[in-house]
Amino acid sequence: MKKVFAAALGILTAIGGFVDIGDLVTNAVVGSRFGMSLVWVVVVGVVGICLFASMAGRVTAVSGRATFEIIRERLGPRAAGANLVASFAINLLTLTAEIGGIALALHLASSVEPRLWIPVAGLAVWLVLWRVKFQIMENVAGLMGLLLVGFAVALFLLGPDWGELLRQAVPPSPPGTEHPASYWYYAVALFGAAMTPYEVFFFSSGAVEERWTAKDLSTNRVNVLVGFPLGGLLSVAIAACAAVVLLPAGIEVSSLSQIVLPVAQAGGVLLLALVIVGIVAATFGAALETALSSGYTVAQYLGWSWGKFRRPARAARFHLTMIVALLLGVGILMTSVDPIAVTEMSVVFSAVALPLTYVPILVVANDPEYMGEHVNGRVVNALGTVYLVIVVVAAVAAIPLMIATGAGS
Amino acid sequence: MAGLRGLGRVVAGGVGGALALAALGGCVASRQEPGQATAAVADALAEAGSAAQTTRIAVELLSRGRLTGPVADTTLLDQLRVLDDADAALTTLVPPDAASSAHRADGLAAVGDVTDVVVAAREWVAVRSGGDLGAGPAGAGELLDDLDQAAGAVDEALAAAGGP
Amino acid sequence: MTHGPRIVDARLHLLSRQVLDVDGEPVSTVDDLELRGPDGSEARAGQEAHVAAILVGPALVTRLFGGRAPTSRMPRIAWDDVGHLGTAVELAVSSDGLDADWVEHWVRERLVERIPGGRHDPEGDR
Repeated sequence: MKKVFAAALGILTAIGGFVDIGDLVTNAVVGSRFGMSLVWVVVVGVVGICLFASMAGRVTAVSGRATFEIIRERLGPRAAGANLVASFAINLLTLTAEIGGIALALHLASSVEPRLWIPVAGLAVWLVLWRVKFQIMENVAGLMGLLLVGFAVALFLLGPDWGELLRQAVPPSPPGTEHPASYWYYAVALFGAAMTPYEVFFFSSGAVEERWTAKDLSTNRVNVLVGFPLGGLLSVAIAACAAVVLLPAGIEVSSLSQIVLPVAQAGGVLLLALVIVGIVAATFGAALETALSSGYTVAQYLGWSWGKFRRPARAARFHLTMIVALLLGVGILMTSVDPIAVTEMSVVFSAVALPLTYVPILVVANDPEYMGEHVNGRVVNALGTVYLVIVVVAAVAAIPLMIATGAGS
Repeated sequence: MAGLRGLGRVVAGGVGGALALAALGGCVASRQEPGQATAAVADALAEAGSAAQTTRIAVELLSRGRLTGPVADTTLLDQLRVLDDADAALTTLVPPDAASSAHRADGLAAVGDVTDVVVAAREWVAVRSGGDLGAGPAGAGELLDDLDQAAGAVDEALAAAGGP
Repeated sequence: MTHGPRIVDARLHLLSRQVLDVDGEPVSTVDDLELRGPDGSEARAGQEAHVAAILVGPALVTRLFGGRAPTSRMPRIAWDDVGHLGTAVELAVSSDGLDADWVEHWVRERLVERIPGGRHDPEGDR
């Protein structure tokens, strides 16, 4: 049993982190507009997040120091402080999007308007953070999030023309009706959604919560290699469902309700219900992760006591930070801002912030003082350098593309 | 180390500058140029067409018992919001010439047609889900026919405005 | 590893390091260091000096934005309390007795402990 749940950290991070509201929306929008022609970005993103999450997990397991402690130590208080402000802001945006996602999913299930669900969702997230044991939290959210497999089931039930889907994907052939700038804008957004920085903060701090040591390096590898590719497959299934049902009908996805229509068409009410539960679990899990990440980043930068494994009183400022972040997120949503718009913003700004997180991790993973014999090998370093270039290009291109395309419209 | 710290500062500065640029970009976007008006009409009509097709799928699925009432209701509500946006985009447009003015008028009418059908579809959903609205609109078949007509009007207006 | 005295670069190995208390609970980061001359007076450039204390909290503000606060106002952890120096600075005392950790104590006693469940152990059986 213990070994089964050992992979749960990876699975929760993958379901709640890889497939969160950002991925749901971005993949469905992309599927409905560009078919399968952006699947390659998901593949690139999965390899990237595997690479850097395993690196961050390894650094934490070996040195016992979590990511943001290391960012502060290596970049110094100023650069790391600027990094903290940017990371916290984007994390808050993502947290806001996830809480909005929970409310939207509950709206689908109940017809009760999202504004009434938002405070309920915020309170529920806080209660879990306040009381529930870390392992229980990740196992429950992870296993229920697995219901998103319903998208893959739906794809098979739809019985699509697999050859046509493959033709759209390799070589990537965007539909002629779309502008190339829009195509690249969504490529960057999809990349940002796949490599969202909070995944790394959560993953490395989670390793501390679970008290990993150098002995757990194989668990680290299993988590990463099972969890993130699984999340990537789900992403592709979501995009494919949209490409099969919504693209031919000329539907542009602008709401969560449209994303689940292909599932209803394929599997009827039962599959629909399962997928909605999966969406609630995945967004809830991601809300937990982003809320925790807001506490982790601030506490680690300032050296405060942190961790869900401690009594809240023994990590008082950490818990206070999370409460403030949740209140801010709920407050932003209560201004009636469209959660889908917040989501689209959050993935693009995630892309902008990628180098801030990933550069220091690569540097420290090569530092023998921290890593001893576990420093990066040559292959990992070569891959890491390639990804650094991709990450910087995506970060630099994100804002100009956003302006040039009017956020992809 | 100094190089890396410098990089951090440059990146941080870049993010700040980019945010400021993004804020400015939002202001520039509302500028109107001749010819852009027709494209704006086409954009709004594409949204309306998407809303009509989404409504069609939702009505079809609900009539076959493959969709729950709340999901159908939420879907239609979301489409009404999309149509509202399309309507707003058209009503706030200042047409620079007679041709785009005509396109705008056709577009507004088509968006209005679709909106009427979606409103009727939502009533139908409410009746099916056990709401007490009396007779309510007729069956799914009639709704789908109305949708066809409305979607046809959107397509015509879209073709006239030079859309895909 | 070589034996004998270890050479430590204060900038590289001390500043911005995590400070842990005797139970491994994080206390703060090394925000700045207080240097003293051999006779206990303020250290001057070119003279021998030793680290008297780790400065935390407001020291971060002065390090980020410059300026100097009066040394008496700086929350400090005496260097005598330091037990071991690794990838973190490990203290030989508990954080509960440290005046430098007063903000954490304040938030704990005034806010977090007053919320129901604030002292609940999430790892414990329930």
